[in-house]
Amino acid sequence: MVALAAAAGVATDARAAPQTFNTALPVGKGNFVFREQFFAFEASDDPSPADRDLNVRGSIPVRGYGVTSDLALFGILPWLGKELDLTTPGGQRISRGTNGFGDAQIFARYTVFQKDMRGSNFRIAPFAGLELPTGEDDDHDSLGRLPQPLQSGSGSWDPLGGVIVTWQTLDYQIDAQLAYKANTQANGFEFGDEFRFDTSLQYRLLPRELGPGVPGFLYGVIEANLLHQAKDKIGGFNDPNSGGTRLYLSPGLQYVTRKWIVEAIVQIPVVQDLGGTALEDDYALRVGFRGNF
Amino acid sequence: MKTLVRIALAVLASTWVATAALAAGPSYRIEVAGLACPFCAYGIEKELNAIDGVERVETSIREGTVIVTMKDGTALDEATAKRAVKDAGFTLNGFTQAGQ
Repeated sequence: MVALAAAAGVATDARAAPQTFNTALPVGKGNFVFREQFFAFEASDDPSPADRDLNVRGSIPVRGYGVTSDLALFGILPWLGKELDLTTPGGQRISRGTNGFGDAQIFARYTVFQKDMRGSNFRIAPFAGLELPTGEDDDHDSLGRLPQPLQSGSGSWDPLGGVIVTWQTLDYQIDAQLAYKANTQANGFEFGDEFRFDTSLQYRLLPRELGPGVPGFLYGVIEANLLHQAKDKIGGFNDPNSGGTRLYLSPGLQYVTRKWIVEAIVQIPVVQDLGGTALEDDYALRVGFRGNF
Repeated sequence: MKTLVRIALAVLASTWVATAALAAGPSYRIEVAGLACPFCAYGIEKELNAIDGVERVETSIREGTVIVTMKDGTALDEATAKRAVKDAGFTLNGFTQAGQ
């Protein structure tokens, strides 16, 4: 289920920005930004006899507010639909799942360094916040209580933080993020802590030459996401079939106008070094739009 | 007759254009450091449009400039423009009156 955390990696800012994580670009004072991202994620490479096949669909709405041009507050409340198909020890193929709101995230981002030049800018912005247990964490189906990773929510209060660096020019934009989420225990279960290192390059494909006014920009995007998750703990003991390291490479496109952005990206796992029989990812697809109001 | 109508329309149109031009106040050329994407341009335009007396805002992303035209009888000072650009998250790098 490490994959699920990666698939739910959230891009929050409504600026021209990476699609799998955040940017340090500003939210104007007193302004709201809006982002909606839909995603589909599948993991089916199961080394165990259960032959598990996990599908997750969802949407990730993000709202941002600029308290000042340096300080922005963000709120995220995902909606998730999870379905796990597996073969029981008796040979029967069954399906388990749920859907509903997931755990919300709230966090603040503050720009500590800003260098603006003609046609380019550079920013460093740390952030800190909390993942709240807003998702259902005690859902049942006909077979009983769903395993914790299949619940919509974790039930735990999880602090998170990190730092984002952005270098933006008229021709391209580079973003990088280091992030950590310290997962805490709930219902006798504790997801392993998560460490992320994300990078993104956006290159302006069109227009090739800038004319007058403010034309729309079509960016080609390549992002890389390195995610390491510690082992989950069940009843205080490490689950050997959990945790590990994943690296995704993600090509995408993004069209940016003055008032809105549409974008799409595919996350492809290129390295998966996982614990025990942890399920390997197949892909994650994200499609979204952003608005400025 | 047709010629007379055309002349009358041309006179009316030119009078309207001239009136509109005369009604416009001074315009200012603002250089914005850090402006590098269309979405950011809109953030700056929103802040500038919120200033009392602003009639029109035109951005050139290539030049990194914004031309702000004021309504007749109003003016824009550098401190106000600087605050608006700062509130959008960017830096004012130049402020000159571009025309009356």
